[in-house]
Amino acid sequence: MKVYDGSETEQSAGGKPERKKVGIAEYEVTTGDAVLTTSGLGSCIGVALYDTESGAAGLVHVMLPRYDEGEGARAKFADTGVEVLLDELEKVGASRRSIEAKIAGGSDMLDFSENGSSIGSRNADTVRETLEEYGIPIIGEDIGGDHGRSLRLESATGDLVVKSASQDSATL
Amino acid sequence: MKVDIQSLGTFNQLAHEGAKQATQALSQMTGIDAVVDVTKITLLNREDVGEDLAGQDFVGVQFDFQGALEGDTVLAFEADSVGPITEALIPGGADGEMAKSGVKEIGNIMMSGFIDGWADYLEATIDHSPPTYVEADGADILPEAPALDDQPQVFVFKSQIEWVGESVNFYIYMLPEYDPLADLMTEHAESESDAIPIDKLGVFNEMTTNGTEQAAENVEMMTGIPTEAEVTQISFAPIEDVPKQVGNDTYVGTVVEFTGAPSGYLMVLFDETSAQNVAEALMPSEPEGEGLTDEHKAAIEELGNIMTSGFVDGWANVLQTSVDHTPPRLVHDMGQAIVDPLAAQVGQHQEHSFIIESEMRTDEIEFSSEIHALPNERELRQALDDLEVDRADETDADIEQIF
Repeated sequence: MKVYDGSETEQSAGGKPERKKVGIAEYEVTTGDAVLTTSGLGSCIGVALYDTESGAAGLVHVMLPRYDEGEGARAKFADTGVEVLLDELEKVGASRRSIEAKIAGGSDMLDFSENGSSIGSRNADTVRETLEEYGIPIIGEDIGGDHGRSLRLESATGDLVVKSASQDSATL
Repeated sequence: MKVDIQSLGTFNQLAHEGAKQATQALSQMTGIDAVVDVTKITLLNREDVGEDLAGQDFVGVQFDFQGALEGDTVLAFEADSVGPITEALIPGGADGEMAKSGVKEIGNIMMSGFIDGWADYLEATIDHSPPTYVEADGADILPEAPALDDQPQVFVFKSQIEWVGESVNFYIYMLPEYDPLADLMTEHAESESDAIPIDKLGVFNEMTTNGTEQAAENVEMMTGIPTEAEVTQISFAPIEDVPKQVGNDTYVGTVVEFTGAPSGYLMVLFDETSAQNVAEALMPSEPEGEGLTDEHKAAIEELGNIMTSGFVDGWANVLQTSVDHTPPRLVHDMGQAIVDPLAAQVGQHQEHSFIIESEMRTDEIEFSSEIHALPNERELRQALDDLEVDRADETDADIEQIF
């Protein structure tokens, strides 16, 4: 029987970059060339951070605006989700000074709230505020509208590919 | 027996952690990159358990377990995945008995982790039998659900594990005996205040079935296509797992917000082929243009409205409350993206959610439809509290009222 240790499972097979799936309220970081994906963003937002110096990259899929207004994991919320991703990137050697952000999602589809702004736009506002607080520039975004999105962050280049059901994919 | 929301949440977490440990064991042994997609606790009719496995061949291992919790559990691999798994275990691959023992070996390691995880958390002993190799198609891969005379519905813990990058899934099903589970849940309940009596949850399920039958009848009346209500179930999952309940294929359908006791959101979803077929059954003439035209969408909107009314009236009649709903909003998007904003709206006030699901099908054309409802948990609990159990048979909605 072949038994791999944990480190070997990190390796990509056959030269194809490893693919890591990021679920709702989850994040992933990588220092290699893995492709980080997340799917089915409605009012949720995918925040992709890329360190232009070290090449480290990370993706978080947040669902609700503020940690102090709910319960659950930090990665579930826009404010703490950005923070936890930054922390994890710094742990693998990224530097805040050279990190750039790309964000997508935050659709207003199916928002039934009659008063106030939609969850999608509140998520987007909170992500923007938090990134600004940490001095991280947003260099690409695809936010709002009334359609869902799926994302692919190519860590080798920092490209964020946005797909939707009805439109061609776009690269941020 | 009563279960409280807290203990449902705890047990769900437990099943999820167990499945994660089992999946890590798989990754370590084979190098296969797999992740636990969804874990949920579902209450459904015994005969409907495993319905969603239909049409696939599986191999796997079964165990029975005893102690603080009793019952059976199965790890099922889609049959196509057996080659690559044994290949990873035994270089050069294997077939026949060798492949079987490979599956058994890996199943044993994965499921020991799963069951030990439960025992550790419960600080109790759970023993399990040696693994039995099983091979079957669809729901036959599962052991018989435990029977209890006056209890037609059973709790099932189900985790779906995805092999990343391949379209292959593994499943862990756990079918606990009712009484030991009930005892444990009662023991782990934190307060009486948010407890739900299980018999009422069962009644609620029955009335959802009736609502679905009503919705199916409405479809039949409108389209002339004989339509059957299929599985109805009520599940419980963390709010962030709710969108995953619907696949990521593109769906067409309608969404409404319903208000009253309880309030929440209701989706009627069709896959694109079904949407096209059923819409055409409603159209007086051949549609102009290819694919899903505006004409198709208008027909779906009308159908969604009628199905929603049938479904919601079924509830309202039993609960003897009024449940109103907004006009339907037409959606055509990735399944998960449709559910996501609704889960987020519900998730502003609760960490877990009940998900009411039902399906209908017809043999005549390729057609299936799913109804998903996300009720406000506190209001649902209140409505169930007020429910008199013997009212369950009063759900036959009045057709005259609907049309």
